[in-house]
Amino acid sequence: MKIFYLPDLGEGLAEAEVREWYVKEGDMVKVDQPLVSMETAKAVVDVPSPYAGKIVQLHGKANAIIKTGAPFITFETDEVPSHINAPRDQVPDKGSVVGKLETSEKKWDDGNVIIGAPKAKSIAVKAMPAARVLANQLNVDLSLVKPTGPQGLITPDDVKQLINQQSHSTQLPGQTEALHGVRRAMAQVMALSHREVVPVTIIEDADITELPPKSDISVRLIKAIVAATKEEPSLNAWFDGKSLERKLFNEVHLGLAVDTAEGLFVPVIKNAESHSEQELRQIIDDYKKSVSTRSVSPTDLQGATISLSNFGMIAGRYATPIIVPPAVAILGCGRSREVAIPRQGQIIIGRIMPLSLTFDHRAVTGGEATHFLGSVIRHLLERK
Amino acid sequence: MTEITLVEAVNQALAYEMEANPDVIVMGEDVAKDGGVFRATVGLVDKFGPERVLDTPLAESMIAGLAIGMAARGLKPVAEFQFMGFIYPAIDQIINHAARLRNRTRGRLSCPVVFRTPFGAGIHAPEHHSESTEAMFAHTPGLRVVIPSSPARAYGLLLASIRDPDPVVFLEPSRLYRFAKQEVANDGKALPLDVCFTLRMGDDVTLVTWGAMVKETLAAASALHDQGISAEVIDVATIKPLDMDTILASLEKTGRCVIVHEAPLTCGVGAEIAAQVVEKALFSLKAPPERVTGFDTIVPYAKLEKYYIPSEKRIIEAVHRIMEFT
Repeated sequence: MKIFYLPDLGEGLAEAEVREWYVKEGDMVKVDQPLVSMETAKAVVDVPSPYAGKIVQLHGKANAIIKTGAPFITFETDEVPSHINAPRDQVPDKGSVVGKLETSEKKWDDGNVIIGAPKAKSIAVKAMPAARVLANQLNVDLSLVKPTGPQGLITPDDVKQLINQQSHSTQLPGQTEALHGVRRAMAQVMALSHREVVPVTIIEDADITELPPKSDISVRLIKAIVAATKEEPSLNAWFDGKSLERKLFNEVHLGLAVDTAEGLFVPVIKNAESHSEQELRQIIDDYKKSVSTRSVSPTDLQGATISLSNFGMIAGRYATPIIVPPAVAILGCGRSREVAIPRQGQIIIGRIMPLSLTFDHRAVTGGEATHFLGSVIRHLLERK
Repeated sequence: MTEITLVEAVNQALAYEMEANPDVIVMGEDVAKDGGVFRATVGLVDKFGPERVLDTPLAESMIAGLAIGMAARGLKPVAEFQFMGFIYPAIDQIINHAARLRNRTRGRLSCPVVFRTPFGAGIHAPEHHSESTEAMFAHTPGLRVVIPSSPARAYGLLLASIRDPDPVVFLEPSRLYRFAKQEVANDGKALPLDVCFTLRMGDDVTLVTWGAMVKETLAAASALHDQGISAEVIDVATIKPLDMDTILASLEKTGRCVIVHEAPLTCGVGAEIAAQVVEKALFSLKAPPERVTGFDTIVPYAKLEKYYIPSEKRIIEAVHRIMEFT
């Protein structure tokens, strides 16, 4: 025997009225079969059977008021009663007649609640949105900017002002001297090269023991470079880093670094491949003279496809010569000297010339560069 | 001190003030014998009798009208609506009368009534039991809208609301009713109205929220802390009138703001806060304000509820977005 207690038919309803029974005592019923029509304060609803089995007793006739949770119908059934089918005072209070409230044993930890705002506060930088964007783009720390806007507001101009100050910020003490002419051009070109070029320098000693004494090393080097560019043309080239284009040259316009008190000059030996050794020596001597008298023409200083810096006349063995864009290679020649050289099990006193080749790794591979340097050395030692 | 839930704190505040002030009346559907749909008023009728704890008919407009009449004549009624979705029949009374009584009578009458109702989703109830339409009341001149988010604030703010001489819409986050317990002294001390509560201090971003979303927002702040982002959490508590001073003071420090509310995005209270933030703190902002809110839809049924309610994850993602502005 199971007793079905009247459930809450609405939301917190205390009772309901029987309008019409659809079944009578002794009837067999199925689960969910409508048993009765009930009227509540909210609506008329049919109550479905919670069990399958036989109706033993109906607790109330038509128009009877049944309290929520009071015995309603007695069944004869084998089914286990569901949790809802218990007298109302035995049902645990879920805290609501509708929905499910989350409950937990959790402690509500409010910590240190502050009514209103915390007292201590740091004053934030106030900046116009455009000034913030500009500062972000220019990588400027807004806290360093001096505000001139209304109410201490940083304006975009304030950000630019700081940038201007920073670019002039290296204050040199005492009298200074502005750079002019060649020295100024050198500063600009070298800075450009440093910004753009990805330089790699490889060094090697050329064993020049076998070269006849009084050989014209400069001319020999130029001839060797010309010959090497035929084997490895990628070093006799111009490169444009923006468009990523290169131009290889058949002719060799060789820039020759000439140091003067005024600054660095790089006159260009045009079509170096077309000149004899005597002609090359003549051109070199002419350039040295015209550079020292400042009579070298601007066109003579342009268009180098590769350069040679013979710095060893003064001092210095190895160097990392700087490429002048758009060229991609420069060969530095250091001071040659006598060294002990092992040869066929013997130590002989020989002579070496240190060579330093800088190439722009954006345009030239390491393999091409080493091949080129090897080729220069081989041609340098060629006997005519 | 005993540890009590938020709904018990509501009950405790009502009992305290009924004891202290014989003018306080509790009324609503099933509030007396049944103790209220969420049991917020349980036991009050036994203590204070059926003359002060009134079971009303199922007629919300009447509940509000009756309460306004009582308030105009000097009583302090606290009227309960079973769910926020049931308050709409009473809106005529609330907007046209409760909110205007002081103005209409040039100050001769005031309307010290508290309209209490549970609100918000997350309890697997039908959709008109789940909404958060606080903006409708916040938009109405003459109403004060107060939302507690912890047992202690439910107790202190409800006492303050009952003692206030003007009408208060007091919205109780049903999702938090029994979520956790807190020690609350039953000492009758009210908390101030019209002021935010800073629940957690931080330097990188200000999270502004209220009601049930305080739970997810605090959880997000804690997770952000582990990621090295220091979040300040502000419980607005009184959404009308807004305490912008506290929010702006925080933004002066952090320069970044995420507003979290369960109500739909469009014309939510978050829109008002964002507007004032831009008007008054634009030059302190490092990033545009973000809102993490419910969607512009009816609150879905139980299965989809958790997708509707802004999650800890959504809050954290919003913070990550604005942290990209340096």
